[in-house]
Amino acid sequence: MQDTPALEISEPRVASAASPEGRAIFGRTLIRVTSLAVLALIVMQFLKTAGVTEMGFANWRPVAVALLAWSASLCLGMVLSRGQHGERAVFLLPAVLLTVAFVIFPTIYALFIAFNSWNLSAAAGRQFNGLDNYRQLLNDGGYWNAMKNMGYYVTAVLAQYVIAYLLAILLNQNIRGRKFFRVVFLLPFMLSPVAVSFMIGKSILNSQYGPIIPVLEALGFTNISFYEDPWLARLNIMMLDAWYSIPFMMVLLLAGLQAIPFEVLESAKIDGASSLQTFLHMIFPLMLPVSLTAIILRVIFELKLIDVVRVVTGGGPGSATDTISLFIYREGIQKTNVGYATALSQFYLLIIIIAITVVLWVANKWVEKVT
Amino acid sequence: MRSRILRQSANRRSVIKAATGAAAGLYAWGIPGKSYQRALAQESVIQQILAIPGAGAQPTESDMQRVGELVLEPTKANVQPGEFQGQQLTFLGLNNGGVHNLVFRPLSEAGQEYTGVQIEWIDLPQNEVFARVQQSIVSDTIDFDVLEGGAPWEGDILGQGLASAMPDWVATQVDVADYVKLLQPPVGTWDGTTYRLSIDADAHNFNYRSDVFANQDLAAEWSAAGGAQEWGVPQTWQQVQAVTQFLSGKQLDGEDLYGILDECAPWGGFGWYFFASRASAYAKHPDNSAWLFNPADMTPYVNNPAFVRAAQDVIDALPFEPSDQVNADGNRTWQEQFLAGIGSMLHWWGDVGSNVYTNDVSVVQDKVMFSILPGSDDVYNNESGEWDTLPTGPNFAPNEAYIGWGLYVMNRSEASGVNKAAWSLAAHLGGKDLGTWTAVYPSGFQPYRTSSFNEDLWATTGLPAEFVASYLASQADSYNHPNGAIEPRIPGIFQYYVAAEIELARAYAGEITAQEALDAAAAAWEQITDDIGRDSQIGLYQAALG
Repeated sequence: MQDTPALEISEPRVASAASPEGRAIFGRTLIRVTSLAVLALIVMQFLKTAGVTEMGFANWRPVAVALLAWSASLCLGMVLSRGQHGERAVFLLPAVLLTVAFVIFPTIYALFIAFNSWNLSAAAGRQFNGLDNYRQLLNDGGYWNAMKNMGYYVTAVLAQYVIAYLLAILLNQNIRGRKFFRVVFLLPFMLSPVAVSFMIGKSILNSQYGPIIPVLEALGFTNISFYEDPWLARLNIMMLDAWYSIPFMMVLLLAGLQAIPFEVLESAKIDGASSLQTFLHMIFPLMLPVSLTAIILRVIFELKLIDVVRVVTGGGPGSATDTISLFIYREGIQKTNVGYATALSQFYLLIIIIAITVVLWVANKWVEKVT
Repeated sequence: MRSRILRQSANRRSVIKAATGAAAGLYAWGIPGKSYQRALAQESVIQQILAIPGAGAQPTESDMQRVGELVLEPTKANVQPGEFQGQQLTFLGLNNGGVHNLVFRPLSEAGQEYTGVQIEWIDLPQNEVFARVQQSIVSDTIDFDVLEGGAPWEGDILGQGLASAMPDWVATQVDVADYVKLLQPPVGTWDGTTYRLSIDADAHNFNYRSDVFANQDLAAEWSAAGGAQEWGVPQTWQQVQAVTQFLSGKQLDGEDLYGILDECAPWGGFGWYFFASRASAYAKHPDNSAWLFNPADMTPYVNNPAFVRAAQDVIDALPFEPSDQVNADGNRTWQEQFLAGIGSMLHWWGDVGSNVYTNDVSVVQDKVMFSILPGSDDVYNNESGEWDTLPTGPNFAPNEAYIGWGLYVMNRSEASGVNKAAWSLAAHLGGKDLGTWTAVYPSGFQPYRTSSFNEDLWATTGLPAEFVASYLASQADSYNHPNGAIEPRIPGIFQYYVAAEIELARAYAGEITAQEALDAAAAAWEQITDDIGRDSQIGLYQAALG
């Protein structure tokens, strides 16, 4: 009898869609064809928008739909072409695509817009203006005034830290009703800053109808106003901000305190260290990484401050409580000066990145040295 | 102040309320077949709706639904029952102070039931509405069929061909010839085509406390203090300044007295109007229709001596105004302050008058009267650079602030096949009879029709005749004044206003001087003009001036 394997060798292998290889080829083809198609659509629409050709859609919406379809085909193509590896990639792909669509692309596009004069009322539309926005920014007193205010607000985070630390230590003690107080102290953090601003900033501290006014009048105060004096206004904004922000820091610090091994504190006690010595030489150094995390997170949140100020003072009196976010909001939304507002945002982002990087580097060096 | 609110006892308002409330309430419930309703059926529609709810009461939602039902006849004449079944409209408007869209909703319910149209409402606060509209325009994502917009925006909306022209049947249904002079073309038109359906006319008038200026004790004190003229309602801004200073520290009926209430905080561009009212008598010369820009080259006038003087007036008055006035926006000055009994003088839109007897927060019934804005002993002449004293006496120049809200049907409604439904809704809300009702009761709108100035009609609501006469005269005299300060309908006008109010707020807070603030505003205005396009702005400004 003849062996059959000879036949198998001589028979040409035809890849079918059902075979793994066929699926791989189909997957790769799908990715290439759909990628080329969507790229062609983007180029076509871009040329139409630029006025080079007539062919294209009335707006970018069909291209956005095509991009969604391409994303789906990319996922399918990855699975078909790369099998198990492709399936793993598909788990990540939606997140990657969303990040590209909603973070990376807008950032790059914003960088481009920042070099344009784009007043929404201008019939001419967007016009490239080079570095003009950045030159204007350097001479914009309002922007630098807001930047100065941000310095005040960020400095206030240190006071918030101290208060949060004290509260965390208090709640870490074995006191009666500890769990109750932990929940109560967290309540402000659960409230919307806008609601807090309205309830306290606009209502309780209202200079005409606020329930606190009769109390102060009974104490002999007259012409009471919480936001007329620039520094008093700033302090009130800081206090409102602190009211709902301190619990956040407190929770982080409390978690850090609870993570300190009991044996370490017990050994310090056995060695005869006082409570103050234990705190200064044991707890505080051990808590430094947590403290820095809490402070840096709060600083980052603080740099975006807008809600409280927008509701309570609108940046006033004058520009005494203005913030960068509010300044950009006015420039971009109310004055519809999109190009300049984008340049302001980009510049602010750059400053934040540099400042936080420097602070983190210095802080890490310090923590290493201390611990 | 709290005690003043709590002390509200029987007054003319409560009496009127009691007298009209029961009858109007019965009618508002629409009890079918009752003799009361049969009697009212013989009255005109306008008399019927003005009785709902009657003076001294703020209309409830069911009141407004009933009013909407009663004014439906003109719609029925042009639209078949269920004609818009399955169609959906999107209406973008305001939600200020519980009025505007919140009044439109119940007013349009009967119409929705009759025509079958569904309405989706987009509510926005006043200081954000224009920015939202402009972003929709630029991003080509207009998502509304009917827009409640201001005449100053027409450069941005009509100038870009985004609105649908008003059909003839709508013009007939709403009787556009009945609009006051201020709202006649070119307002609402672009290149000769009418787009706007008016629901409001706007001008700042002068609201004052009649009890303060009729008080004999204050008159005696004023004379003793060497007051320059007889104690009475100030006729010029110079007198307003003097009276404000005089009233500081004085009391009436145990309450602190204050003079003028200035709006000092930025308010999304609307804060500009309060400063402009302070400035118009100084800056608007009878011989020159232009008062904001030089029409030849769009050079701003905003930092000329007239505007600087007005800003300095506010700075000088602030120490005599209530505490925290430097942070007061427009909502605070009229609702939280003037209607609540704080302050003796207020330059504001006519909403104050229509709320004195009908708003639940008001405690100033029988204490408020009206006039056009104060004048000035002299007026700045931009041509000569000198202050002129007119032979006719003080210069009066009412600030035709904002011209008024209108309804604009967008082109989008044509593409989606809901254009007639959109115009029908607009015509219903801008109907002739309803126009008087919205002027009488809190709605956010002032009288905008000649027919609404019939004092006899207002008298049927139970409002005091003297009050009605004073209010309507202040409105009509502002709208029709030969030296009215008209604002330009040019693109980006609110950018100019926002830029100016931000700088003015800094001056009011003492950060910079009045001159520095207005120089900065002028520089910002130049920049805005360049950004938008100087040549096109010059052409549109000249066209707006007529």
